[in-house]
Amino acid sequence: MSYEMIAITMFSGMMVLLLTGQRVFGAIGFVAVIFALLLWGTGGSELGFSAAMKLMKWYPLLTLPLFIYMGYMLSESGIADDLYKMFHVWFGPVRGGLAIGTIGLMVVISAMNGLSVAGMAIGATIALPELLRRGYDKVMVTGVIQAGSSLGILVPPSVVLVLYGMIARQPVGQLWLAGVFPGLLMATLFIVYIAVRCWLQPNLGPVLPAEERNVSLREKLRLLQAGILPFFIFFMMTGLFLMGYTSLVESSAVGAVAATFAALVKGRLTRQVLHDTVRKSLAVSCMFMWIIVAALCFGAVFDGLGAVKAIEHFFVDQLGLTPWEVLILMQLSYLIMGMFLDDTAMLVIVAPLYVPLVKLLGFDLIWYGVLYTITCQIAYMTPPFGYNLFLMRAMAPPEITLGDIYRSIIPFVAVMVFGLIVVMVFPQIALWLPQHVYLR
Amino acid sequence: MPDVLRRYVRMVDAVNRVVGLFAMYLIFAMMGVLLYSSVMKAVAIPPLWTLEMAQFLMVGYYMLGGGWSLQNDAHVRMDLVYAQWSPRRRAAIDSVTILFLIFYLGMLLYGGISSTGYALRYGEQSYSAWAPYMAPIKIIMCIGIVFMILQAVAQLIRDVAAARGRELS
Repeated sequence: MSYEMIAITMFSGMMVLLLTGQRVFGAIGFVAVIFALLLWGTGGSELGFSAAMKLMKWYPLLTLPLFIYMGYMLSESGIADDLYKMFHVWFGPVRGGLAIGTIGLMVVISAMNGLSVAGMAIGATIALPELLRRGYDKVMVTGVIQAGSSLGILVPPSVVLVLYGMIARQPVGQLWLAGVFPGLLMATLFIVYIAVRCWLQPNLGPVLPAEERNVSLREKLRLLQAGILPFFIFFMMTGLFLMGYTSLVESSAVGAVAATFAALVKGRLTRQVLHDTVRKSLAVSCMFMWIIVAALCFGAVFDGLGAVKAIEHFFVDQLGLTPWEVLILMQLSYLIMGMFLDDTAMLVIVAPLYVPLVKLLGFDLIWYGVLYTITCQIAYMTPPFGYNLFLMRAMAPPEITLGDIYRSIIPFVAVMVFGLIVVMVFPQIALWLPQHVYLR
Repeated sequence: MPDVLRRYVRMVDAVNRVVGLFAMYLIFAMMGVLLYSSVMKAVAIPPLWTLEMAQFLMVGYYMLGGGWSLQNDAHVRMDLVYAQWSPRRRAAIDSVTILFLIFYLGMLLYGGISSTGYALRYGEQSYSAWAPYMAPIKIIMCIGIVFMILQAVAQLIRDVAAARGRELS
């Protein structure tokens, strides 16, 4: 059997096993170790464990459990309640304003945390019930929360960019800075979409009733205080890291402690809250870590097969495509795979195949990291497989059906694809800030 | 279900609950070590051992937490088809496909034991200024994998029971 055939067999084997509904890490890991055994006999028998050792050396992944802990702590801390109130009062008088305010809330949360988990938890528990109570369209609201929380992996800090940085050997600081403007661009596009849609169809997002709009300017200004604590957390974590005072992993620990401190200040830090937070953190960390261990093993087998060369050969020599066509094709293939396969596993398996090719074609790897992350964001939302979909399903109130959740993402995915194209065409959106900061 | 299996499931559940509880709180050890390192960096010479120690803690965290995570069904599944099956059907199919998962864990353990044996025989040290011995962390990893296999077998027993229409608490 040729190596290409083996690679295709591996992929389809994984696909079939995943369809049976077995735990993702088990399905990926099994395919990886069985092929290692078949291909290299006893020489391949230790591949699974060496993947675990490799993960240990990827120490930046320490940020993952700490960010997860931080996300849950933030959602428990009550910071989000105040923030939501602030956005509620400031944006309420506009059509669709509460949905716009929710996007704003998500941007602030994304600046404090590097995953979409925190945004989802906060959006589903605080914003969602409020918006539904005020007669907002449930399909739109569901989409707003999923799309908004996906900004968590684009706006710094970002765990996906940490993972990408390790695979592509690029500095995380620059990657994070590169995510700032694309993240803000994406948020702006969401807001424009909501505003236009609600302007055309006012029943989707009604204006706040007059008695609720009647808030004095003084009260409004007082509510802005809600921003102080998030800014403090952002500064302690991302600020100190970018200024070079703390290393990447240290900054995540500082962030975790700062979130705990915020909960303490707000008087929400009970033993029960603490225990729930560490319990959920372990569950989510184990899920991600085991998928990464299994995917690393899978990737190692792929690597042994020379898949990088094969893909390069296929794209450049056989199809005879120009660099841009290859790039577009890669993003498209990733989007399609991201629908059906596990998004984290895809990052670990596919990125090592694509990154050398991107480099060979002469593209900037920092910029590609941003493109990759946006694609990942979309993959988080596209059915049938996506983390935001899972979280939404677990947290949404019963009146929101699965069909609503699936339908809700369509316009936002379209907006995100548009954003992806904009960043592709104008690389400076991503690259200006890191170049400006690091070239001084 | 024979009584032996019932007792086995109960025992493994209890063990992994305790190990999981321990793993959960390891996150504070990670935070502590990293915080100590950032504070020391500000006031004095940064210590050599913190980063590697944090790495070991991270590995211990998800390896020892593995059994607990299986027990609490913390792992995602691709539920395109799975979600539409009846609980009984799910259990029936799971009781077959979990064998694949157990095989994977078995291969992990095989590699782990061989690697630990090497580390013990030659006193393997990490290539770093601190140069810690590698055997302890590898032993911890193997223990974590063993707990996971035990839990996976317990889940298998549960699935078989559920597939035959009996609930195993």
